[in-house]
Amino acid sequence: MEKSKATGSISLLSKKVNIVGEIQGNEDIHVEGRFKGSIKISGNIFVGQTGVLEADVEADNIIIQGKINGNVVARQQLEIQALGQLIGDCSAQSIDIKEGAIFEGRSNMLRPAATATGSTRPGTQGHPK
Amino acid sequence: MSLFGKKDKEERPPVVHTPAVPKVAAKSSPKDMALDTTYFGKNLKIKGNVSGEGSLIILGSFEGEFNLAGRLKVAQGARIKGNVKATDIYVNGNIEGSITASEKVHLDNTARVKGGIATPSISVLEGAMFDGEIQMSSRTPQESKQASPGPKQTSPASVASVKKETEI
Repeated sequence: MEKSKATGSISLLSKKVNIVGEIQGNEDIHVEGRFKGSIKISGNIFVGQTGVLEADVEADNIIIQGKINGNVVARQQLEIQALGQLIGDCSAQSIDIKEGAIFEGRSNMLRPAATATGSTRPGTQGHPK
Repeated sequence: MSLFGKKDKEERPPVVHTPAVPKVAAKSSPKDMALDTTYFGKNLKIKGNVSGEGSLIILGSFEGEFNLAGRLKVAQGARIKGNVKATDIYVNGNIEGSITASEKVHLDNTARVKGGIATPSISVLEGAMFDGEIQMSSRTPQESKQASPGPKQTSPASVASVKKETEI
C-alpha cells in the first residue's frame, strides 16, 4: 500500500469485516471495513473510502477518507480528505481538512508539551467569547 | 524426407501450451492479497467480536469471538482466546476456545490448541499440541461424543490433501 513508514507492518481491516470491540497496540492500521468501539494505538490510522469507524480513536496520525463517528485524538496530524467525514470532536497538533470534507464537532489543538514556546499567550485553552 | 521430418519437429514444439495458472503464487505474500485480506499485525491487541467475509490473518492477540465466512490463519505467535468460526482455519499459533470450521482445520507444527474442534476435515502436523476433542460428523455435537484414543487425531488422507501453506 501507499504508506508504510512506521513500525513495519500495517494491519488491515478489510471491506467486508465487522469488528465490535477494542483495539490497542503499536502498529499502523488501515480500515476499509466497519469498526465499533475504541482504538488506541501508537501508530497511524488510515480510514479508507469504505471504512466506517464508530469509535473513539487515538493515534499518531489519522487520515480520514471514509467516516469516523466519534472523538478523535491525533497526537500529530489529523487529515480529513475530500471524501472524508468526521462527526465528533477532534484534538490534534495539526489539522488538515480538504475541500469537500465533512467535519462536525469541536476542534482542539494540542500543543507540543516539550516545545512549549511561550508564555506569550497565557489563556489559549479557554475559548474567548 | 529428412527435411520434412525436421520441419515437422521444429513446428511441433510450440504447440498449445496450456498456461498453468499459478494459483499458489498469489498467496505467498500478504501484501498481494491487498485489500481482501484482513491482517492483524503482531503488535495489535484486539478485544471483541469479529464477523464478516474474506480471509483473515492474525499475528497478534485477540480475545473474543470470530465468525468469519472465509479463511482464517492464525500465525505463529498469535494468541486467540475465544470461540472461532470460519470456513477453513489454519493454525500456527495459540487458540484457547472452540474452533468450528465448515470445511477444514489444519494444525501446523507450532499450533497450540486448547478446546474443541468441530470440522468435517482435519489435518494435524507432528509437533502440534491439541488438548480437547474433535467432532467430525455433522450430527449434533452434544450427543455423539467420540471416544478418541489420544489427544491427537489425524486422518492421513486429509493430511496429504492439505498443501502446506507458505508461512507469513
